[in-house]
Amino acid sequence: MTDELLVVRAQLGERAALTELLARWRVPVWTYVRRMLDAERADDVSQEIWLAVVRCLPRLREPARFAPWLFTIARRSVTDRLRDEYAWAKEAPVVSDVVAEDPAEAMVDRAALVSFLSDLPVLEREILVLFYLEDLPVEECAYICQIPTGTVKSRLNRARRLLREHLEEKGYRP
Amino acid sequence: MIERLAPALSRRSRIGAVAALVAGTAGTVFVSTLWWSEPGPLPGSTHLAFALFTVFCLVWVGYGGWLLTHRVPLFATDQVIAAWIGLAASLATTALVAAVAVQRGTGTGVALAVGGLFVAAALALAVRAHARRAALLRRMRDLTGRE
Repeated sequence: MTDELLVVRAQLGERAALTELLARWRVPVWTYVRRMLDAERADDVSQEIWLAVVRCLPRLREPARFAPWLFTIARRSVTDRLRDEYAWAKEAPVVSDVVAEDPAEAMVDRAALVSFLSDLPVLEREILVLFYLEDLPVEECAYICQIPTGTVKSRLNRARRLLREHLEEKGYRP
Repeated sequence: MIERLAPALSRRSRIGAVAALVAGTAGTVFVSTLWWSEPGPLPGSTHLAFALFTVFCLVWVGYGGWLLTHRVPLFATDQVIAAWIGLAASLATTALVAAVAVQRGTGTGVALAVGGLFVAAALALAVRAHARRAALLRRMRDLTGRE
């Protein structure tokens, strides 16, 4: 059953559909939150996100776009907790990134990615989690982060470069 | 996770929110119409009592509205039921206020106008809720047919 059908059924008031939707997206949401926050806050924030999702679900006008909508809510909760980090990140000077696809860098091992994520600045960490761990396309990452797709690509580029530097510092060779 | 969300999804909280909004609105209309249609000059303390009672009802309207927009999710079927409750309450309040106004012989027109306004609003909400539910049911049938 597609997410859209589950959302429509849940919007009609079917509790079973809502339960299934929660079961399907609980882990992806938790993964996103856990990679952005420490373990102590991850559980509370996850619950807060699901409460907001349930409260806002009747007003969701495009059930087909459930995933980006869900992560927009999740990002808002995470941003509230990391307000200082985001504020600092926004003030940081923008490096002129050249947007270039690098298949070798794109094939970063997921396990390595997860272990080094916490060392990255919040904006780069966020885009890596959404793109690599949640498998969301660039357009949806842009929608969730409310930035143009070009910025998503340049952030991904920068994040990959930072990650590569971190990995090399730690002696990891892909 | 669904167990942790149970309080927000409980039928009791939804009924409570709708009841607060409907009772508050009906009370506000009833008290303010009585106040306006009072024959003859009223003492200051009576004005104060009417004003306080109206404010009390308005607080319930605000609380019910806040619950329904920020705290309690009303799904499509719930919205249809809530709209019909609202329509029934509007009709009952209009009938009651009109009956009191006729008995007193003053303010019948005002009572009917205000009541009519609320009945029309409740009817519009009921039509919108039915349309939304029908659209979701159509979409569900389309998606089910495709699978």
